[in-house]
Amino acid sequence: MTRLVRAEFRKLLSTRLWCWMLLAAAAWTAGYTALAITLDGRPGDIAPALSSPAGQHALFAIGAGGAGPLVAVLAVAGVAGEYRHRTAAATFLVTPRRGRVIAAKGITYALAGAGYALACVAVNLAVALPWLPARGIEVPPAGNGNLAVLAAIVVSTAIFGLAGAGLGAMLRGEVVTIGGLLFYLYVAEPLLSHVAALHGWTAYLPGVAADGLTQAVQAGVRMLPPWEAGVVFAAWSLVFATAGAAVTVRRDLTG
Amino acid sequence: MTAAAGRIVVSGLTKRFGRITAVDGLSFSAEPGSVTGFLGPNGAGKTTTLRMLAGLIAPDSGTATISGHEYSALTSPSRDAGVVLEAAGFHPGRSGRDHLRVYCTAGGYPLRRADEVLEITRLAAAGRRKVRGYSLGMRQRLALATALLGDPVALILDEPANGLDPEGTVWLRGLLRDYARSGRTVLYSSHALGEVEQLADHVVIVSNGRLVHHGTLADLTGGQGGLEERFLALTSRPAGSAGCAGSGGSGGSSEARS
Repeated sequence: MTRLVRAEFRKLLSTRLWCWMLLAAAAWTAGYTALAITLDGRPGDIAPALSSPAGQHALFAIGAGGAGPLVAVLAVAGVAGEYRHRTAAATFLVTPRRGRVIAAKGITYALAGAGYALACVAVNLAVALPWLPARGIEVPPAGNGNLAVLAAIVVSTAIFGLAGAGLGAMLRGEVVTIGGLLFYLYVAEPLLSHVAALHGWTAYLPGVAADGLTQAVQAGVRMLPPWEAGVVFAAWSLVFATAGAAVTVRRDLTG
Repeated sequence: MTAAAGRIVVSGLTKRFGRITAVDGLSFSAEPGSVTGFLGPNGAGKTTTLRMLAGLIAPDSGTATISGHEYSALTSPSRDAGVVLEAAGFHPGRSGRDHLRVYCTAGGYPLRRADEVLEITRLAAAGRRKVRGYSLGMRQRLALATALLGDPVALILDEPANGLDPEGTVWLRGLLRDYARSGRTVLYSSHALGEVEQLADHVVIVSNGRLVHHGTLADLTGGQGGLEERFLALTSRPAGSAGCAGSGGSGGSSEARS
């Protein structure tokens, strides 16, 4: 399995996509961090104040917002892209046990996700830590439960990587899957999760569970406590990965 | 190596796609130390058969084995069989050398093996370029280079000469011939009958998913008429049936057409 994971990392690093996605994730994180600090305390800002622990959790969780969905996209591209570029045959010729290939991809993108998360956390802290004291806000990165948020970002982004690999294996159409994933995360799920009448179950949706894990506070959205949310999100991604592996093992590669 | 090393055996192989029977009870073998040409008109089921041999398509019934095992049961598949299916399986943004290094890692081969097969397939100069800029012939060579990574005891090739220039075709012929001479098995499909005549020891001809001839090239042509003439007689529809089966049986071949 180590061999297969190393081969998947070689695949990932031998094309440019990972680099562009990392830049996009870092830019997103830097931009939203700057925006959150700039808007803090202004009239009309509905986010919790940055002087409060909840506000700080939301601020530090921005790194997860940047890294998570983009790592999922990267993973979909890495797995479904094998069908688009028709490299799947070569991959399964070297490793006919396809379930192991999908497992290796899941591990690879989970690890890559952790790496993206660390980079985004670094960007987030690099923007926030020098800026906040200048605004008179003292933020202890290791206090107020902030360290738990930073750790949760790494876990959450890793889970996003596994989920993306599973979805890519399951659905195979690279562009459609990425389009559907982004539509779901940025349009469908936010619409549903803001409807109070649906709060009984929207907290269990994958993206809302991911936000619950990192305590990314969103006004008007019900979230589970971090531990529970993490378990729910991990369960979703394991379902996607298992379904992806099951479909892949049975699929005829006709050309 | 066991006695069966590299031997390819297809037995009662059948595959349906919806209502179409692509491969219909096909049986033949390809022996170590020889080149077997796998011929048939478009849509005869050649590619589907080769993909079933390579474990990429699951047969509805029958078996396809290499060295006595189905592909998925081979302990080190890329050492047992090198497979070239199409010249299209590359990420355009990855260099040829990186493509090979990926599969070196997955197959457990040292990375220098990538450079060795680039040399063998005469791609060394283009190895660090992205596949996006490769010609069809270069992609074909890269596909072959990927198949050679494990220095396999059997080669299974689907129209490997596609896109090769005349020099490349001659080079490929030499490579396959040397491979067979070293006691290994070569099974390759082709539409270039002149090429097959020069290279193949045995020919397997399929039509509509069924075997219509399996035997030595000499048996088939029998000294009268070229391979092309015999091929067309065996595979023309609907006549194929009666007329050809009768005359084709003379060469000690196994006729399967009813």
